Amino acid sequence: MKRNMALLLAVVLLGLSLTACTSSNDSSNNLKAPSTPDSNAESPALSGDDLAFSRFPEPVDVHIGMVVDPTDKTLPEGDSVSNNQYTRYLKEKYNINVIVDWTAATGNDFKQKVSLTIASGKLPDGMVVDDRSFMTKAASSGLLYDITDIFQQYQSSQVKDIMASTEGRALENASYEGKMVALPNITVDTDGVHVLWIRKDWLDKLQLPVPKTVSDVEKAAKAFIDNKLGGDKTIGIAGPSKNTFPYSTFLVSSNNMGGFDPIFGAMDAYPGYWLDNGDGSVSYGTTSDNTKKTLALLADWYKKGLIDPEVGTRDNVGDPINANQTGIFFGPWWNGGYGNGDSFKNDPTANWQAYPVYSDDNKWNVHMKTTGSTYTIISKNAKPDVVKAIMIMNNALVRDEATFDLSVAVGWYPLRNVMAAANETEYEYVELLKVLKGETDPEDYNKPNSLYKLMYADAKKVKDVIKPPYDDLNVSNFNTANFGDFQRLYSIMIGDRPFTTIPIDKKVFSVTYNQTPTMETKWANLKKMEDETVMKIILGQASIDSFDKFVKDWKAQGGDEITAEVAELLKK
Amino acid sequence: MRKIGHQKHYYLMLLPGMVWLVMFSIVPMSGIVMAFQNFNPGAGLFKSDWVGLENFKYMFQLNDSKTVIINTLIIAVGKIALNLLVPLVFAILLNELRSLRYKKLVQTVVYLPHFLSWVIMSTIVIGIFGYYGVVNTVIGMFGFDPKLFMADAGIFRQLVIGTDVWKEFGFSAIIYLAALTGINLNLYEAAAIDGANRWQLIRHVTLPALSTTVVLLGVLSLGNVLNAGFDQVYNLYNPLVYSTGDILDTWVYRLGLQNLQYSLATAAGLFKSVISFVLIFISYRLAYRYADYTVF
Repeated sequence: MKRNMALLLAVVLLGLSLTACTSSNDSSNNLKAPSTPDSNAESPALSGDDLAFSRFPEPVDVHIGMVVDPTDKTLPEGDSVSNNQYTRYLKEKYNINVIVDWTAATGNDFKQKVSLTIASGKLPDGMVVDDRSFMTKAASSGLLYDITDIFQQYQSSQVKDIMASTEGRALENASYEGKMVALPNITVDTDGVHVLWIRKDWLDKLQLPVPKTVSDVEKAAKAFIDNKLGGDKTIGIAGPSKNTFPYSTFLVSSNNMGGFDPIFGAMDAYPGYWLDNGDGSVSYGTTSDNTKKTLALLADWYKKGLIDPEVGTRDNVGDPINANQTGIFFGPWWNGGYGNGDSFKNDPTANWQAYPVYSDDNKWNVHMKTTGSTYTIISKNAKPDVVKAIMIMNNALVRDEATFDLSVAVGWYPLRNVMAAANETEYEYVELLKVLKGETDPEDYNKPNSLYKLMYADAKKVKDVIKPPYDDLNVSNFNTANFGDFQRLYSIMIGDRPFTTIPIDKKVFSVTYNQTPTMETKWANLKKMEDETVMKIILGQASIDSFDKFVKDWKAQGGDEITAEVAELLKK
Repeated sequence: MRKIGHQKHYYLMLLPGMVWLVMFSIVPMSGIVMAFQNFNPGAGLFKSDWVGLENFKYMFQLNDSKTVIINTLIIAVGKIALNLLVPLVFAILLNELRSLRYKKLVQTVVYLPHFLSWVIMSTIVIGIFGYYGVVNTVIGMFGFDPKLFMADAGIFRQLVIGTDVWKEFGFSAIIYLAALTGINLNLYEAAAIDGANRWQLIRHVTLPALSTTVVLLGVLSLGNVLNAGFDQVYNLYNPLVYSTGDILDTWVYRLGLQNLQYSLATAAGLFKSVISFVLIFISYRLAYRYADYTVF
């Protein structure tokens, strides 16, 4: 009896382990078995937008790897990552079957999965990667499809216009050795313009003017703390978390919520950027004297208790902002509205306003971002029809995003790739103000295939969300009944106001936004050194004098070599 | 042959484990060749360029490699030592308790943290040692300024070791408690009749009886001397404490999975595996000699 039981147990265990093996084998086989019959049904008669939105006569299977937001709860009961309103739309309109080979959670999980997928050399037909080095690694390893011709043929007129709005920078960004190997995402320029976000209601309470210069910011932060406007634990200025950075860099040149970018800009310092010195030479912004001065200033602020004492160790940048503990932080246009929704939920009077920070001689200096930061890469083993399908999926999203029911987050759209005209937000700001003031009618924007794809939808709802008077918009002008609409319009009308209405005195571009060959091996070490030095100086754990040693070490350990490589790029 | 036939159900029970081992431990070992290549995912393991020991040379040129090896050793050795000592003391103290119910309660409470992953534990630890956390509140009562512990490279290692011991000591004590129940009660009785007090009972009866267990556990943990605990450090560290907190595993993770330097990361991983293998080999020899314990 005992023996039989043992035998039974062994068999059950064996069965379990075998099923585990087979199921894992299955999923890896899926990668290589596109079941599409090679359809020769490509009708040569179609061209332009007809081709860009053509329906396949036979179903086309597109295998993808997908990033998912684990906290998202917008998917209706019964729907799944591979069966939802977006996949059904693609199936009905274009006969595209989306098959999700794997999913991973946003952030490090996804990066890890992408990295392993590339290392294994077995890419799904398509996936969206969020770091250019993934694209170049895969391209240099010969894993990617050369989409140069198919893209030319299949791009919709809208996509073409949006690509053109970047003056070729987007195409260059998505190319490797002259071949287009990815669909670039194209985000608005203002994503890289970091501004001061400040609680105007707190300023009013203390009868303080809006800060203009660095020393004004210091005074406001001090006043907020002294008057305990955020409670006993009021934080003067919020800062980066343990996973984010004190400033954006040439590799991650936008969307740095909680960094100190505007302060560096006001001090004419551009750390993390490769700067053209104007004489044929380049230098790395972090190593400049102005960066050193700014770090000394930030260290002084930290010492005085003006900067979040837990800077650099927090789990999440947004925590003190959403808890309304702080009245000042820095970030791009969407950080107020989209980025800090809970702050408004916790305190409906939180009147976050966005302003530039000026240098002492009254200049607004800004570092500018690259065109986009994600790349839809396509496996070289994909069938031509599958590549075409991915082009069509991108065209369809650009055209129809505004018509989707966005109560299901658009992140569920397979291979979602953001493509926006570089000045979309500024255009919307200007036009929405016209709609509000009655100078134009929402129907004026009812132009199918417009470059500004969300304009019409926004124009129709703007009057429901924003109440008069329109001259000086405050949080009290906004109706939060539809919170998603509130967030979007708050970000556009408040967050993008500085970039739209105030001329920038100095726009600084990085000489390159990509890695050079030597960086592939040496950058990790240099970056680690930089992160460590900068944060230690700000927190007062290292004296400002250690900066000079850092610069020396940085140059010796590969910095000089890399600088020479970047200078070569300048000559081209 | 007859023997095998007689024992075939044991072999059957062994099979799932062997299948698992082959699939997830033996087969992936072929990836080690990456350490000697300039690995190109498109070309695969067989066609990538061969570079010999280049990756290892480069690894030891990096200043980081020295730092992470030292950090790893300090953290791991600290953990091994304290994870032997603290549970031992705790188990003996617990064993001396008269109230059985209280004993059970304490035992349950202290071993609970073992079951939480470091992802959750790290949030708790950061909360406790945060600027407004319990620790700072308490030292604030004595008039000290609050301190940002998580950003202090000077105490990060101690923090890592301490929190690991706190998480694991309850669970590790179970083995000692089991050994304690195995001690013949007659020994205590005899010692008590000879006039031994409580302290002397522990010193001359309990400790000698536990010595084999201590030696065995200590020797077996030698293989972990380069395992400083990836998930713990990864969830607790930040750039400010890289100088004392970065360990081999987190370094390999950043190199390989974040910076895509697959070959260099493999080289670092292989370096760790080889040293660990030697240590495990030594530890089994020692275990055999001092505790008469053999696996093979």
